[in-house]
Amino acid sequence: MSDTAVRLAGVTKTFGDHTAVSDFDLEIPRGTILGLLGPNGSGKTTTIRMMMAILLPDRGTVELLGAFPDFERRARVGYLPEERGVYEKMKVLEQLVFLGEIRGMERKIVRVRAMEWLERLDLGEWADKKVQALSKGMQQKVQFIGTVLHNPDLLILDEPFSGLDPINQEVLESIVLEERERGTTVLFSTHLMEQAERICERVCLISKSRKVLDGDLREIKRRERSGVVALEFEGDDGWLSRLGMTGVERVGYAHHLTLGPRTDGDRILAAAVAEGVSLRRFELLEPSLREIFVRHAGDAPSEPALRAAGGAR
Amino acid sequence: MRQVWAVLRREYVERVRTKGFIFSTIAIPVLMLGSIGLSAFMAVRAERSERQLALVDFTGRLGEEVADGMAAAGYDIEVVGRDVGMEELDRRVLDDEIEGFVVLDEETLLEGVFAYRSKDSPGRIRRTLLEGVVVETVLEIRLSATETTAGVRELLGGGRLTFERLGEQVSEAEEISGIATGFAGAIILYMSMFLYGAFVLRSVLDEKRNRVVEVVISAVTPGRLMLGKILGVGSMGMTQLGIWAACAALIGLLGVPMLAARLPQADLSRIVELLPGAGALVLLLVYFLLGFFLFASLFAAVGAMCNTEEEAQQANFPVVMLLLIPFMLQMFSIDGRGFAWIDWAALFPFFSPILMYPRAVSGSVEWWMVALSLVFMVLAVGATAWVAGRIYRVGILMQGKRPTLRELVRWVREA
Repeated sequence: MSDTAVRLAGVTKTFGDHTAVSDFDLEIPRGTILGLLGPNGSGKTTTIRMMMAILLPDRGTVELLGAFPDFERRARVGYLPEERGVYEKMKVLEQLVFLGEIRGMERKIVRVRAMEWLERLDLGEWADKKVQALSKGMQQKVQFIGTVLHNPDLLILDEPFSGLDPINQEVLESIVLEERERGTTVLFSTHLMEQAERICERVCLISKSRKVLDGDLREIKRRERSGVVALEFEGDDGWLSRLGMTGVERVGYAHHLTLGPRTDGDRILAAAVAEGVSLRRFELLEPSLREIFVRHAGDAPSEPALRAAGGAR
Repeated sequence: MRQVWAVLRREYVERVRTKGFIFSTIAIPVLMLGSIGLSAFMAVRAERSERQLALVDFTGRLGEEVADGMAAAGYDIEVVGRDVGMEELDRRVLDDEIEGFVVLDEETLLEGVFAYRSKDSPGRIRRTLLEGVVVETVLEIRLSATETTAGVRELLGGGRLTFERLGEQVSEAEEISGIATGFAGAIILYMSMFLYGAFVLRSVLDEKRNRVVEVVISAVTPGRLMLGKILGVGSMGMTQLGIWAACAALIGLLGVPMLAARLPQADLSRIVELLPGAGALVLLLVYFLLGFFLFASLFAAVGAMCNTEEEAQQANFPVVMLLLIPFMLQMFSIDGRGFAWIDWAALFPFFSPILMYPRAVSGSVEWWMVALSLVFMVLAVGATAWVAGRIYRVGILMQGKRPTLRELVRWVREA
């Protein structure tokens, strides 16, 4: 078994004269959670659909669990498409049993396991209701159960949290983290930077059909440190100007100090101690994902951008 | 295999459980039998329930006989005297006191011509009956006036053709039974292939439209999915046809003897003779299964290349024609006779169920033609499934506009 769950190399996909994904490389090590980030229309869904061999790339290669995404590999994946497709007329439990069965699970076993999942996601009493009787959010939870039901080696989730209330988002987040504990590789796409920041180990930023950046989130942040120290203290701030700091900015109770060659963190700390102010906070600020994204892509993913870029998949 | 089974079961259970299935299973035979029964009932009733007829006889010799004849046929007829004027009778008709009246005069006695005066033209049944009764009565009187032997008078009963077949012995009842079975079979085949084929299209289209297929296809190969789907819908169709067949058999086995016991005077042995034999039923099943597979794959391919119901209705056209053309041809040649080229057209696999089945059971084609059509159909099922499977495989994941014919050819080549 290869250590890479997903590998894309030089993948390009065009629809007519619109390039949806351009020369895309990505490697996802096994057992990690990767967030695929970018505004809507940036090519996330197209990339995911190529991973599932729903679309074939014009150029480049796609590998899933070490080989071409054939049926054997795909059966080991839990896939949640962007469009929430369900058999509306089917009963909730039966739908889940069907999804388990086509992945080769024993009918009796799926039934029990599906019921456990339904109970866990507060859908127990809906098991015998038709799917169409459920709200959109509930249907999404049912679909989510369908993706984890067969204990897949890899979860590919396209915008799994969109449209859910915060409580349910948290429930799903905790399940994703749990799956990760089990050793499952998780890839999910989102345009919500803050959420990705909360649960991802690795991120891959896409903008305008190109990869901007990818790698370990902590490493990226370290690399992208802006050289700003946030300082909170009680007492007079006159000593700061005596230090010869140039960029001092007040943000709430804190002072944000931009470090220079002659003013590193240690010097500031020493000066503060010497001055006798009582320190409340001293922190090397790391940029948020949003800031990193803006720095690299030039514009922030925002809801209006989402609408403008709209339909392209 | 488990996957095909899971798809099959889902398709079958989800369909059989619907109210639509239960309703159509009950309603279709009830409606069909009902409409036949009702129209027959209405025709008879309309004829009987009408108002009284009157009859004026200016000859003085025909009146009683004709009135008796009409009364025997169930008409309420009153012979009025010559003294009642024609104006008076016309008035009674116009005032809706009577339905109409018959005028018999010397001309009737000479040439059998007579007048019927009414506001509404007489129906076919009444016209034939009146003519028959009057002409018979006139002949009776005219013949009895001349010195004729009884032998000639017997001719009045009408002549009769008795057919004597040379070669293979087939009774008349068998022959009628064959034609009737063939005709009914053609209708059943046409309707069931159309109906259940459309279910397949629907099912494929729905799955594609709501994108469930993207999840399903991540675990099931398109070929297995298509096969499971067709088998599922087919099983549903067989269930429905089976229920109908069982009901028909029940009526045949229990109903006919019961009817015979209650109406000993009616000769019901003829009805029994007209029922199709087991061979004809097995052949019907064979043609249904082959025909269903043939059309179901076509319908599945159409469903896979469309995105909306409207698109599907247009794209469906060629497939529907493949069903409609043989059905029309069959209507032109109900007894399986007539145009020899239709016999040959019946060898075209898509036409075979509707055209060859009636010919096979009525015995109007050679047995090797029937066997050949079955061989062709088996080959066609294989070829069609192969082509349709390729279109299906590409189509179900393809969004956007419907493919052109050229794109379709490319799908089939490259899939």
